Amino acid sequence: MARILVVDDSSTVRDEVAGFLTKNGLDVATAVDGKDGLAKVKADAGLKLVVCDVNMPNMDGLTMVEKVRGELGNKTINVIMLTTESSPAMKERGKAAGIKGWIVKPFKGEAVLETFRKLAG
Amino acid sequence: MTIRQRMTLLIILTFVAISSIGGYAVVQSRGSAAQVKRVTEGVVPSALASADLVSQLKDVQLATMTLVFAPDPNLVAQSKDKLAAKKALLKGALDLQARQADNDTQRGLVEQARESLANYFAAIDDTTKFKLAGQTEMAQAYLFASVAMYQAELEGVVDTLRIEKNRSKDAAITALNGNLATTTAALSGVTILAVTLLSLIGTLLYRQITRPISRMQSMMSEIAESQDFTRRVPVDRMDEIGRSIVAFNAMIAKIQDGSAQLKQKTADIQTMLQNMPQGILTITEGNRIHPEYSAYLETILETRDIVGRGLMDLVFSDTGLGGDILSQLEAAGSACIGEDVMNFEFNEHLMVGEIEKTMPDGRVKILDLNWSPITDDEGKTVRLMLCLRDVTELRKLAAEANEQKRELAIIGEILAVSQEKFHEFLAGSMKFIDENEQIIRHHPEPNAFAIAQLFRNMHTLKGNGRTYGLLHLSNVVHAAEQTYEQLRRPEPTLAWDQRLLWEELAVVKAALERYARINEVSLGRKGPGRRGNAERYLMVDRQHIQDSLHRLETVNTGNLHELVTVRDAVRRTLRLLGTEKVGECLSPVIESLPSLARQLGKAAPIVAIEDGGYALHNQAGGMLRNVFTHLIRNAVDHGLEAPAQRLMQGKPAAGTIELRVAIDAGMLRITLSDDGRGLALGRIRGIGIEKGLIAGEDPLGDDDIARLIFRPGFSTATGVTEVSGRGVGMDAVQDFVKREGGSVELQFSDNAVGADFRRFKIVVFLPAGLAVDTDSDDEQLAYHADKPVLAPLEAGSGVSDLHVA
Repeated sequence: MARILVVDDSSTVRDEVAGFLTKNGLDVATAVDGKDGLAKVKADAGLKLVVCDVNMPNMDGLTMVEKVRGELGNKTINVIMLTTESSPAMKERGKAAGIKGWIVKPFKGEAVLETFRKLAG
Repeated sequence: MTIRQRMTLLIILTFVAISSIGGYAVVQSRGSAAQVKRVTEGVVPSALASADLVSQLKDVQLATMTLVFAPDPNLVAQSKDKLAAKKALLKGALDLQARQADNDTQRGLVEQARESLANYFAAIDDTTKFKLAGQTEMAQAYLFASVAMYQAELEGVVDTLRIEKNRSKDAAITALNGNLATTTAALSGVTILAVTLLSLIGTLLYRQITRPISRMQSMMSEIAESQDFTRRVPVDRMDEIGRSIVAFNAMIAKIQDGSAQLKQKTADIQTMLQNMPQGILTITEGNRIHPEYSAYLETILETRDIVGRGLMDLVFSDTGLGGDILSQLEAAGSACIGEDVMNFEFNEHLMVGEIEKTMPDGRVKILDLNWSPITDDEGKTVRLMLCLRDVTELRKLAAEANEQKRELAIIGEILAVSQEKFHEFLAGSMKFIDENEQIIRHHPEPNAFAIAQLFRNMHTLKGNGRTYGLLHLSNVVHAAEQTYEQLRRPEPTLAWDQRLLWEELAVVKAALERYARINEVSLGRKGPGRRGNAERYLMVDRQHIQDSLHRLETVNTGNLHELVTVRDAVRRTLRLLGTEKVGECLSPVIESLPSLARQLGKAAPIVAIEDGGYALHNQAGGMLRNVFTHLIRNAVDHGLEAPAQRLMQGKPAAGTIELRVAIDAGMLRITLSDDGRGLALGRIRGIGIEKGLIAGEDPLGDDDIARLIFRPGFSTATGVTEVSGRGVGMDAVQDFVKREGGSVELQFSDNAVGADFRRFKIVVFLPAGLAVDTDSDDEQLAYHADKPVLAPLEAGSGVSDLHVA
């Protein structure tokens, strides 16, 4: 049971993001791609926030979020995307999937900590 | 009248009209019903009864005839009874007619019939009497004469009555029909009248309601369409419509007020955008520039082609920012616009705060960028606002101001040092620089000895700079020292590069020259000062000269003893010229100790000086300061423990450093000791093995281990501190002392042979001629700069004499 799920295929990003959040007292789990992330969201009802990379092998982030909303029918979990680029098409898709925000990498912990606490609370 | 009242009135009127029509109809129908009843139940049966009268009369006639012609008395008797009944019936019928008589004619006719009936019945009675008397012929005669006559008369009357009754019945029916027709007509009339009236009133009221409403509606539409909020809908009534118009007008007034304010604000903002010396633009979806921006933006970016361009192209082209930074910036902008404002917080750190933009003509502008989100009521970022300031001049001014600040700080640093000492410091430092210059020049390839010498010189220069509080200089020197430190390592992290070392040295030299220039030009302190160049000039205390002169002038030349005393006194005075006490000489380093101790987290040490009554010649001052700056600072850094540790060991929190001056065996001996933890022999041994200076299995005595600290590049500090710990101290000290013809010894002052820490003192031997005994008259100690009284000892000989005290 964790409150936040960090999904990224890069172990560096996972360690950085999850490490920072854990260090600041947040309860964090990680997943290595969209498939893994989807399974973990399904298995853990305590999750409040998913922080999710866009480009990943097996299943990309946006598809994962769409499946969370569709197949799992989970409309309440908060989703923040980690990305390196941002296009109108991506944002449109994100909006449809009820994504709360976009964090452009590199991630700055102090800038997100308070909001994450709220979203994971 | 309000609309509600009008509507109520209309409804009331309708009710009144309907009720009056209904009431009237009811009254009329009741009247008609009574009339019908009278006709059907009175007039018509009465008319019919009058017709019956004739037949009843005939019945009586018939019964009379039957009686008259009855053959036997029985039949007569029977006929008589019948006749009596018929007579009674006829009489009753006539009575009825009398009661039902409508008018005088009928009543007269009934009266006439009654009279006639009385006569008729009297004749019948007479006839009956005749029959009963048996006089049948008489009876018959009477019947045909009298009875028939009265019967005819009665018949005539009754017939007239019947006719009269029929006429009366017909009249009544006609009247009834007339009445009914009148009622119908009246009802129709009243109904038509009521409907007409209601229609009229309704139309009137309707128009009174709808007209003003449609007028209001059309005026409101007009105002709404024209957006002319100065207009008002006229109020000519105070009903609901009037009040609606008043409210509408009030709303329009508010809108007018609001729109005026909005206009004013828009105008203000426009004016600001036109006149503020700041570039302001807003960024919309797709990182495009919104058409409204401040006029000054054109001045800053030097282009008029702004609207509709991409942010990245307009602002960030020719800025030298890397592709990755630009891509992050672009993505960050896109991630914020149209999203919740928290996205701005998430990505704000990627929005560049300052750029250096190259203009088409090659000028470089420094632009300060300030980003902020423009949000709507739902907290969504609709646009990003970017404020640009051209801070090129500002940065230049700030740099100049910083330069001035630095210069002022340098002036302050220089002023804290006396002119003579500063001059001496500069001269000494320049010597180090020159020496390093030569070393670098002569070594195209790295050489451990050369590097050690470079480092020693720079380290000493830094130490001296620190001691005098010349912080800006020591920072510059520190950088050069770091380079040498890296080159000095067993596996250097830097390559030996003559050109780079040369350039670095030039920076140090420039800093020194800057100090020299400020000293000479800004402070006007050119030259060594009055007390400078002690080898050629001497400072003389005027009082001493005056005292001496006074004694010489007033001495009794006849008294040899007195003359000798005065001579000795004057000689002593003259001998002490150009000397200073060791405490005076070392004052810069002693005064710097409290701040040094603070840096190291230690208590300011007590410095106890026992100068043995000796003063030292000025020309030795520079060397002594170089030597004891190292030694004393090392003592504070390595020897003295932190207060807590000292207190635990039963020592006072503040350490004591002792300095003793003595003349011993023809040498000036300066001994330095402290009450710190002592010499860390265990560590020194370990480091010696680590650095390959000794082998682990070497059977070394404490003296052999102690001697390691004089080897170049030895350091015991676990971390390199800002203060010492370069392992250069003892190496350099030995170097300085040797140059002056002296030697350095380390002497243990306890018996703990083989212990990890041993108490010790450092003894510096120098030619005795450097000292003057302020109390003694012994001339043999006179010092001649060019010709030391005693030959210098070999450095090694001092160390080899190490002994346990």
